[in-house]
Amino acid sequence: MPVENGNRPASIVETEADPTPIVLIVAATLRRAERSPKLAALLEKASGNVALRSTVDPQAATIRFQRGRVRVERGVAPDTHVTIATDLNRMNDEDPPKPKVSGAAAHLRLALIAGKVLDPPTGTWQEAATDFWAHVSRHPASPTGLRIVCLDDRSELTLGATPASYEIHGTAHRLTALFSGNTVFGEELLAGHLYGVGSLQHTAELTGRSLAYMMGR
Amino acid sequence: MDIAAVPAWLNEHGIRWVKTEGVSPDGLVVGKHLSRAKFEHALPLGNAITDLALGYDVGGTPYLAWWDAWRADALGDIHQRPDLNTLVVAPDRPGTANVLCDFVDREGVPIPSCPRGVLTHVVDQLTALGFAAKAAFEIEAMIFTDSLGPARRRHFRGLDPMSTGVPIGYLHHNSRQQLAFVDEVLMRLEGIGIPVEGWHDEAAPAQFEINLDPADPLTACDHVVRAKQVMREVAMDQGHVVTFMAKPSEEYGNGLHVHHSLTRDGEPVFYAADGTMSDTTRHWLGGLMRSAGAATSFFCPNINSYRRMVGFAAAPTVASWGEDNKSAALRVLSESPKAARIEYRVAGGDANPYLVLAVALASGIAGLGAFAQLPDPITVSGWGLPPEGYPHLPSSITRAADALEADRGLASVMGEDFVRFWINTRRWEWLMFHTSGGDPTATAVTDWELDRYFELI
Repeated sequence: MPVENGNRPASIVETEADPTPIVLIVAATLRRAERSPKLAALLEKASGNVALRSTVDPQAATIRFQRGRVRVERGVAPDTHVTIATDLNRMNDEDPPKPKVSGAAAHLRLALIAGKVLDPPTGTWQEAATDFWAHVSRHPASPTGLRIVCLDDRSELTLGATPASYEIHGTAHRLTALFSGNTVFGEELLAGHLYGVGSLQHTAELTGRSLAYMMGR
Repeated sequence: MDIAAVPAWLNEHGIRWVKTEGVSPDGLVVGKHLSRAKFEHALPLGNAITDLALGYDVGGTPYLAWWDAWRADALGDIHQRPDLNTLVVAPDRPGTANVLCDFVDREGVPIPSCPRGVLTHVVDQLTALGFAAKAAFEIEAMIFTDSLGPARRRHFRGLDPMSTGVPIGYLHHNSRQQLAFVDEVLMRLEGIGIPVEGWHDEAAPAQFEINLDPADPLTACDHVVRAKQVMREVAMDQGHVVTFMAKPSEEYGNGLHVHHSLTRDGEPVFYAADGTMSDTTRHWLGGLMRSAGAATSFFCPNINSYRRMVGFAAAPTVASWGEDNKSAALRVLSESPKAARIEYRVAGGDANPYLVLAVALASGIAGLGAFAQLPDPITVSGWGLPPEGYPHLPSSITRAADALEADRGLASVMGEDFVRFWINTRRWEWLMFHTSGGDPTATAVTDWELDRYFELI
């Protein structure tokens, strides 16, 4: 049964009660996949259980594709058909480790569908940034304007009020990952993957907003 | 104590150093060791300290997902304003004084995230309504013969309890084994003016309980903070480890039961003179019941806290009250004018006493304001009850945070900024558990929990 999620249109993706972060992140990723008509059709038709498991810590989620309904739960369910094991912390690296997939031989179609819906198209960093800003700028504590600088070609985008009260600089790959809800701003900043120019207050707010965006909240 | 009296007091006791003690939202005691001259010079505002003192989680990671309005745009300082009424000579360090402090900004305005300040704010409202409160805490802890270093290296597993392994409480066989430790604790508490009603061996291996005398709310909480600190220090001095963690093993957990009573014009409010509860008591208790789910966020602040919240293991699991019913969340004792009180039995040993008492009193104040209706008491066991008709307390840190977010009464009394801050910190704790190695499918206490909570909480 489609589930209403705030102001979003009905989604067929639902989560367990009291979900874990990885459950929320997977569900948010699947809901982003629903925006693509092709992927939405795949989600609608899929059947079977797929687990996504971290290779470096206990984080895991099971996706139950139930022909018109998708439910995400914590852990690796015992009735899982396909398991994808990967280092969740490095999935957005420029050269991410290859996931280890088990069960694909017996459930090839399910594995292929899972691979597609768990990696929905992101568009350009500018498109992703515009969507991200629509989410961020609703919050009064956020910067009033955001200037984004792509270090690959020095292209820029300013969103909101000018002059922007905060700036984010990074490669197109890292900017796209952040603005698509795949990474957390503060972590990217600490890792040196992105740069920020502005107050700690705005750094914290953008980190919180990117976390919420990642978890579909 | 007046500021003018401080030099004479410092002289009288030969004080050369002053240890400032502030309490973080997680209940950690933080501060500085100041020379006497620096301490005196910093009065009345108190020494500066980084605002990160209130901005770390218990694992040492700065909160970096929101920003509280009181913080400077970049890192700034706040102040520890000493409560001079709490100046004491350190019981084990002649020449050193300890003083409890409130966190304030450069203008002396209380920081909304200071737990001691939150309690003061709540008590002020109670006073304005014409009530006076008293409170008394029961501190449960576990003491092990192992010393700290080796215990840390073993992730606090397989420690030797300072008692038998038999889960029977009140055994003098056990209390004899704990005597050298507890005697030293009691001596130091007496030295800093903390009266103790009594102590006894408790049910879990290594567990004991110390009952403090009733006092006004702020003093009662100050005494808990200092008593826990003394227990930690004595354990360290004697080569042992002590923990207040809610559930360090699969045995009974550590609680922090709090009793509170009210008087108005000197008359005990909760005393049911002819067996009939007054309207004031009904609305007060109705408020406590109404906010029980939300208050759980403060009573059970950590991931580990919820392992204690299981049926038939001493901790209540249902929002309930009953006359002298120890399986209820709220045990009401209304039959004696001298002892009429309410015992709130939900808090774990890992809870911050200021916040425990603040949320209990705030629930009552909100109940009075809303003329809260009181549901029927339970006269049956509070454990094993079905979900229908018996509102169960939240079963996780996130569910408790959600309940607090949905409760409007508490925030209006405790402070909107503080409650927002607290909810953020509890969701952060949830995030840290899941993203830094915690296993949400583990059915027993994990290394992650022991490493994070055993020693510090």
